[in-house]
Order: sequence, then structure tokens, then C-alpha cells
Amino acid sequence: MTVLLQIDGVSKRYGGVQALNDVSFRVERGRIKGLIGPNGAGKTSLFNCVCGVLRVDSGHIRYAGRDLHGLAPHRRARLGIARTFQTLELFRELTVLENLMVPVDAAARRGMLADALRLPRARFEENRAGERAHALLHFLGIAEVAGIPGGDLAIGIQRRVELGRALALRPTLLLLDEPAAGLDSRETAELAGVLSRIRERFGTTMLLVDHDMSLVMRVCDDIAVLDYGRLIAEGPPERIREDPTVVRAYLGESAA
Amino acid sequence: MSGPVSRNRRLGLAAVVAAVALLPALESDFQRGLDSDAVIIALLVLSVVVLTGFVGQISFCQYSFAAMGAFTVGALMDGHGWSFWLALPVGVTVAVLAGVLVGIPALRLSGLLLAVLTVAVALFTDRFLLVTGTWDGFSGGAVPWHPSRPSLLGAPLTGSYAYYLFALAILCVAVLLVWNLRRGRAGRVLRAVRDSELAAATVGLDVTAWKLAAFGLSAGIAGLAGALLAVRIGSVSPGSYDFLHSVQLTALATVMGVSAIAAAPAAGIATVFGPELLSGIAVSSTWFPLLIGTALILQLVLVPEGAVVRTRHDMARLARLVSGRRGRDPAIAEAAR
Repeated sequence: MTVLLQIDGVSKRYGGVQALNDVSFRVERGRIKGLIGPNGAGKTSLFNCVCGVLRVDSGHIRYAGRDLHGLAPHRRARLGIARTFQTLELFRELTVLENLMVPVDAAARRGMLADALRLPRARFEENRAGERAHALLHFLGIAEVAGIPGGDLAIGIQRRVELGRALALRPTLLLLDEPAAGLDSRETAELAGVLSRIRERFGTTMLLVDHDMSLVMRVCDDIAVLDYGRLIAEGPPERIREDPTVVRAYLGESAA
Repeated sequence: MSGPVSRNRRLGLAAVVAAVALLPALESDFQRGLDSDAVIIALLVLSVVVLTGFVGQISFCQYSFAAMGAFTVGALMDGHGWSFWLALPVGVTVAVLAGVLVGIPALRLSGLLLAVLTVAVALFTDRFLLVTGTWDGFSGGAVPWHPSRPSLLGAPLTGSYAYYLFALAILCVAVLLVWNLRRGRAGRVLRAVRDSELAAATVGLDVTAWKLAAFGLSAGIAGLAGALLAVRIGSVSPGSYDFLHSVQLTALATVMGVSAIAAAPAAGIATVFGPELLSGIAVSSTWFPLLIGTALILQLVLVPEGAVVRTRHDMARLARLVSGRRGRDPAIAEAAR
């Protein structure tokens, strides 16, 4: 199986905190990999390094065989790396439909002049962006909120819209940062179903961070565990569940 | 906002444009001159709408961008004997470049610091670049440039009515292009950038390029207005592009509501005919800036979205009340929860 994302000895430090300490693991194409660990373990830092919002201090991140070093976030997005945010980052004043059109807009190659003159090409692409956004909203079961501004929606639906916005990028790699945070158990179960459907339909590779073990254990093919910025375990869900180091660092804590 | 434009609205707009084009036929040359000024200021306010209304960037140096257009056209026409039609695109290009140049440091600034930066740019232009002795090849030195009015397709634009129509046509085209931009991709993208730059970058938007494009577009529109003003007056002197003009421009755009394109004509009319109206009722027109200041304070406290935006909102509500239709959006929002 080919490797899509390879994290190779990545370290990141802010001030006195070693957020990531020589972390290495790989995500294989077409798989859903879980990334778990207590709060402050470095999961979100790692996401930020992969999508280019943070610069790594040392180590390499390779994506589809290419070193991402020095590449701006929007360039990484165009290579097919999409993400959602733990703290929701929806375009609050844009409608849900518009939220899903923006990634298509970003990839469009036409110039501003085509838009200003409303050339046929601009109209055609505009319509296509709208259709693609609508199709995704249907796929995610939120078509009825298309016309509502993102900021006016309940948290659960905002998370779903953010997922849709990430998918509108047609990503190869999808980084999901606590997609179940703030969801009730019914919504979490739904989310698990949606993630499986996404993989079936688009073959998207995913890296999933979440504290909800039922979700992680259910959808992930294998799991990496971070603690204090270090990788302490890696393997299939059933093995991670029993791993004494992990139980001590993480599951033990949440069980208590 | 991005929906199809209704036929009635189109007809209404066409009627307004026709009326505005035809009415000055009955006026004196002096009044037509004022009309042209109003059109040119509307163009300048449009440049504020692009920058402040679309991207949320503030500027107190729009008249400096206008000066780039005006002095380039003045120097090329009067100093080098160029035709207006060749000088105009060069003037606009110079203004666009100046806008992008100001936009580069502005990328890292916002709010107060950005305002200070643009004040610095305006003062640099006013107190240094355009002062006699700094670069007379650009500023004209002691004798101002005197660009003459061009002809369009053989018809001279020297008459006050002809020139007014010419300026009005340019304003209409500029408004149409900006409007198209806003209701399509550019409007969506710029609003997205304003909402969350982080998210915008992670969906593939080159935030830097889009912001610089907005600065360039805004400065280009201001430069176009400057070039039109240069040949409208027939003389280019630094006093017409003073920093205080920029402050008044931004203040008026804010009073009218920077998010609405309709603020442009509204502010143009207010700037030119406000003082006229005052002198008509025997009040000194020097009171006009005081009135703008008062209006600005009242507006910021009472109607932060701006007069034009509020009026439009109220009209829409009124229309809904009259037609007895309830808004659909709240119902859908309810169903979604």
C-alpha cells in the first residue's frame, strides 16, 4: 500500500513548550488514521504543521512523495490537503452554499476581468461551482440550510458544513480536527456513517483527531497516540485499546 | 444578494440613469460642472467601497491614488504632448501600482495601524512628492499642468454637457463592473477572507494576492477619477488632491455605508450639492465639514451600517409588509435546528 502522508521526525516548540518532539508516522492512501492523545499532546499542532499554518522546527512532512517544506497553506490546499477546525472557522457571513463554493472559486483559473465582464466562461464556472456545492450538501444531508449564513447555524450543523467545505476542495487527504466535539451521541453516530460514506464515494484518505473513543475505534483503520508531543504507540484499534502505555497516558485518565 | 436581478429593478435603474443623464441638459454650464464633479467623487467613493466595503481595509489616501492618475495624465499630455487616450491607461496603471505598493505593508496591518499607514502615504504625497522642487517632471513644479479635454470618436468633450455625459458613462461602466465582481466569485472570496483568513488559506485562497488585487482595483478606480478630474478642471495642482479631501471622502462613504455600491452616487451628490444647498439657504458652505462630522458621529452611534444600507433595508421591510409576505429565511433556519 502506498504512503500518502509521511511525518518524519517532526519537532515544534513554542516558547517553553515542546509541542511536538521527533514525531514520525505515516498515513497510507485510502485509510482512515486516528490521532489521539490527552489535551495538549500536540495533535492540533501537528495538523497545523501539515496544512502549513505552522512551520516545523525540524523534520520533514512528505505528501504524495513531495516534501512540503516552505509551501504556503493555500498551495498545500491546492495539492489536495483539506482540513476542518476544532474551533469552528466557518465563513460566518457567507451562506452555507457560498461556504462550499469558495474552495471551487479558489481553484478557478479565470482572471478577475472575466468576472467583471461576466463572460460566458465566468457564468459557466459559477453555475458549476453552485451545482457542485448543492450536490455535496445533498450528500451530507444538509441541503435545506443552503441559503442560511454559516454563523446562524447550530454547532452540529456548522461542523457538517465545515466538512462539506473541506470536501468541496476534492481533497486527497482530509484532516479532521475533533469533528465530534459538541455533538451528542446520535450526531456522533451519524458522523461515523458520513465519514465511511465519504471514503466509499471519494476514496479520501483521512487523519482523524478526536476525544470520542467510540468514534475513533469505530471508523479508524489504525491509530497513532501522542502524549506530551511524543508518539507513544501506533497500531490497529484493538491493539491500541489494550496497550498499557496508552491506557496509562490516555484511556486511564478518561476512565477515571 | 447573488440572485438574478429582477426585470423591474433593471428597468428602474435604467430610468434613473436616463433621468440623471438628461436632466443637466436644462442646466447652466456652472451647474453641469458641479454635476461632473459629483460623478467623479462618486467614482472615488466607489474606490472606498471596494477597499473598505469588500475587504474591510481602511484608507485615508484615496486622493493620493487619484493624484497618481491626475499628475501622470497632466505630465504626459501637457509635458510630453501625449493624447488623453494614451495617457489615461498609463495614469490608471500608475495608480494601480501605487495601490499595490501601499497594499504590501498593509497586508500585515489592520484597523488603526493601517489607517496611520495610509495617512502617512497621503502626507508623503501631499507634503513631499507633489511639492515644487521634489520632482517637477511629475508635479509640474511652479506652473500646474494644463491638460486639455479630448475628443471621443470625433466629438469634442470640451462642452460641459458632453463632458458630463462622458464622465457619467465611465461611472456607470465602473459601477457595473464592480457590481459584477461583488455578486460573483470576487465578492464571495473577499467576504470569506474578511470572515476568516485562516480558513480562506486552508481552502486554497491566496489571501495575499486577493488583498493586493483589492488594493490595486481600488487605487485604479481612484486613479481613473483623478484623470477625469484633471481634464475636467483643465489644470492639475496639488491642492485638489489634499489629504483632507481623502478624510472627508472616507467620512462620507462611511456615513452612506461602505458596504453598498449605492453609497457612491449618494456620497457624490452629498459632497458637491451639500455646500451648494447651504449657500442656497444663506449658510456659509464652510459649515459643511462640520455637518459631515456631526452626521458621522450620529451615524456611528445610531446606524452603524450606514444610511444607504439602512434605507434599503427599511424599504425591503416595508415592501414585505405591504405585500403581506413573511420572510422565508427565519422559517428555514427554524427547520434546520
